Amino acid sequence: MRYLALALALAACQNLDVSRDVGARCNLASDCNERCLTPSGDWPGGFCTITCDTAANCSSGTTCIDEQGGVCAFSCVADGDCTFLGAGYRCTAVDSHGAGTKVMVCRGG
Amino acid sequence: MSRRLALVIVLAARLAHADEAVTKTTAPPDMSDQGIGAELGIAAGGRVTAGGLRVAGHYLYKLSDQDFFDGVASFTYGGGSAACFRDRMNNFVCDHGLADGGTVEIGASVRRFFGGRDQFWPFARAGIGLAIVRFQDDGVTGLGIPVHLGGGVRAEVSDGVAIVGEGALDIGFGVFNHSLGLQPQVGVAITAGAEFRL
Repeated sequence: MRYLALALALAACQNLDVSRDVGARCNLASDCNERCLTPSGDWPGGFCTITCDTAANCSSGTTCIDEQGGVCAFSCVADGDCTFLGAGYRCTAVDSHGAGTKVMVCRGG
Repeated sequence: MSRRLALVIVLAARLAHADEAVTKTTAPPDMSDQGIGAELGIAAGGRVTAGGLRVAGHYLYKLSDQDFFDGVASFTYGGGSAACFRDRMNNFVCDHGLADGGTVEIGASVRRFFGGRDQFWPFARAGIGLAIVRFQDDGVTGLGIPVHLGGGVRAEVSDGVAIVGEGALDIGFGVFNHSLGLQPQVGVAITAGAEFRL
């Protein structure tokens, strides 16, 4: 019974900040719902994302950046906001897609 | 002793015996030693617990005045698309919806009746099962051991035929592939069906 309670508690604490839409690690598009930014210095571990034209196409907490035709990435204010993505991610200013402004997102490099 | 007094005593004794017979009846009187049943309903799961349409078959065997062995074979058919991925810690995790995946299960349980009123007989059921759990689009398969705790009502509708409605909480563990390993299984199910006396 104690093990059952522990397992249920662990399951409840499972971190699902990332998803197959945005943020999961990947090597191939089939690892994601739509597309994978393959592992590189810019996207350590790979990064599942979805195509966007404007920020309105992205889910809460993400925004549309001008990369590979427009993809959603996690918004941030400081590097600490990106630690949940793991080593190599920093809060970086990049061009937004469709707005002509700079936005701060979690990205490698 | 007068004949009138003797008659009163005999009648009183018969009435007492009849009352005793009513209070001792703790299972539906229409049930014989064995029965079979079929149920249809819905099951809700999530993460790595399958949910969807549930079809179940029952075999009932009388154990005592109020307890029946209830052997169950059930199928759960869900939908859903791929919902597993590697999180940033490189753990393989699944986030399936309430009605995703599928299960084939056999189980053994005990159904206890608590005495009924008219044709309605409430019961509780507790048991354990062995299940194969499958999420097709993720290639995830597991072997589950769920414990079922539930209850319901059985109502006789004609000689040898009854309808049954029940709800159950299913909790347990499953061992899955894709490095998921041991995972908790938590779900609920609501089903209804018919039972037939053998």
